[in-house]
Amino acid sequence: MSAGRLVLVAFVAALACEATHAPDQAAERPFAPTHEEILVEPRSHLLPTYPCTSCHDEREAQPTRRRLADYHRTRYDDLKHGDDAFWCYQCHALEDIDKLRMASGQLISFDEAWRLCTSCHGDKQRDFQRGIHGLTIGEWNGKKHRRSCTGCHDPHNPRFRSMTPEKPPAPVQSR
Amino acid sequence: MTPEARLGELVRLRLGRHDTRRGFLKTALAGAAVASASTACDGAGVEKLLSKHYLKLTDEDKRKLFARIEAEVLARSGVRVTVGDPQPMAGVEFVHALDLSLCNGNRRCVEACARENNLPDDIRYLRVVEVDAGTLELANAEHAYDPELVPRSGKNYLPVQCQQCKKPPCVDACPVKATWVEPDGIVVVDYDWCIGCRYCQAACPYYARRFNFREPSIEPSRINPDQAYLSNRIRPAGVVEKCTYCLHRTRRGRYPACLEACPTGARKFGNINDENSEVRRMLERKRTYVLKEELGTVPRFFYFFG
Repeated sequence: MSAGRLVLVAFVAALACEATHAPDQAAERPFAPTHEEILVEPRSHLLPTYPCTSCHDEREAQPTRRRLADYHRTRYDDLKHGDDAFWCYQCHALEDIDKLRMASGQLISFDEAWRLCTSCHGDKQRDFQRGIHGLTIGEWNGKKHRRSCTGCHDPHNPRFRSMTPEKPPAPVQSR
Repeated sequence: MTPEARLGELVRLRLGRHDTRRGFLKTALAGAAVASASTACDGAGVEKLLSKHYLKLTDEDKRKLFARIEAEVLARSGVRVTVGDPQPMAGVEFVHALDLSLCNGNRRCVEACARENNLPDDIRYLRVVEVDAGTLELANAEHAYDPELVPRSGKNYLPVQCQQCKKPPCVDACPVKATWVEPDGIVVVDYDWCIGCRYCQAACPYYARRFNFREPSIEPSRINPDQAYLSNRIRPAGVVEKCTYCLHRTRRGRYPACLEACPTGARKFGNINDENSEVRRMLERKRTYVLKEELGTVPRFFYFFG
């Protein structure tokens, strides 16, 4: 992964909208209040088929909804997100396949996928911004790395997959 | 090993230690040569017998003590570790929160905790129990669930660990004050002061404490060298230990190991005195539960449904 990209993606200060400290409140809290620097982890460098234009450059985009018979067939058949109206160009941008398209028409990077997800999932957005939903690692009182929505959820099938559990506890200690 | 054999070994171990200590004191009182006691133990052994309670240690005592522990680990396992003593931060009270709607019982936290805290195979601070969906019924909980895949349908998963109670029954039960509540809310154990009576273990309503029945054997490659005196240093046999909210990490600003290992992001951690902390935001907005609230232990561990 390119370190430059990681640095380029600005610390999303806007995310910590509730973390702004009014100066008059500071006096009431003698300890250091939470100083949040949140990096929502970029993901496009992790995607095996990105950039999409490496194939889609040579293909004419077909904006009509249809079952995909060839490439992305399994992805389409396994699509379990939203209702029947959902297909590729619900989220992917027809005019620039390397981008995602917000409902407003604004094109955004794959690294900001959380903005698109939360335009429907507003309840999760509030919890995500407050750090109540989602995996945040780093420092509880400083720099945090927050997984983007798509870092944990497959956007085409967002429900968590079943997992193999670690081994059960040894029966040595009596209960 | 059968339970009887284990008990026998334990009795020998404990009685042996008391014999040594009593013998040493008698000899010293009689004014006889200390050398006769020293035949039973080397110089470090004498130091161990005379060591003070953690809270009475001076900085100089600590320096010597930690160096001795580091040297012992190096001699025993060939691993160079550092034993630190991070102090509580002023104004900080740690609280852990767990989103039960996200926990799927995968036990990644259990294993991450074991690696972080140098636990032998038979000891785990954390235990995820499987309960019937819609209940938090601990009495019928399944501890040893082991299906191919989790979550099982119709089941919920409830990770239980030390709740770092505000009114901890375990602390009241200890006859030698080897366990106490730190200013940041973490209940700690002085492993060198613990006499292994296990009263605390019986007093804890959360089954959070573990006893070292034998000298812990940890593969040298799995030893975490970043250690603290009150948390994850390798414990001797015959003492009680428990979750310390990873104080060697959290008092240095990091999240606990279990939280970072959780693939579903169910765990939250922070300073409850800070209104911008994640746990505070959770407490202000979510329906929260504590385990066995009726006991009045006032846990610093909250469960919620996100």
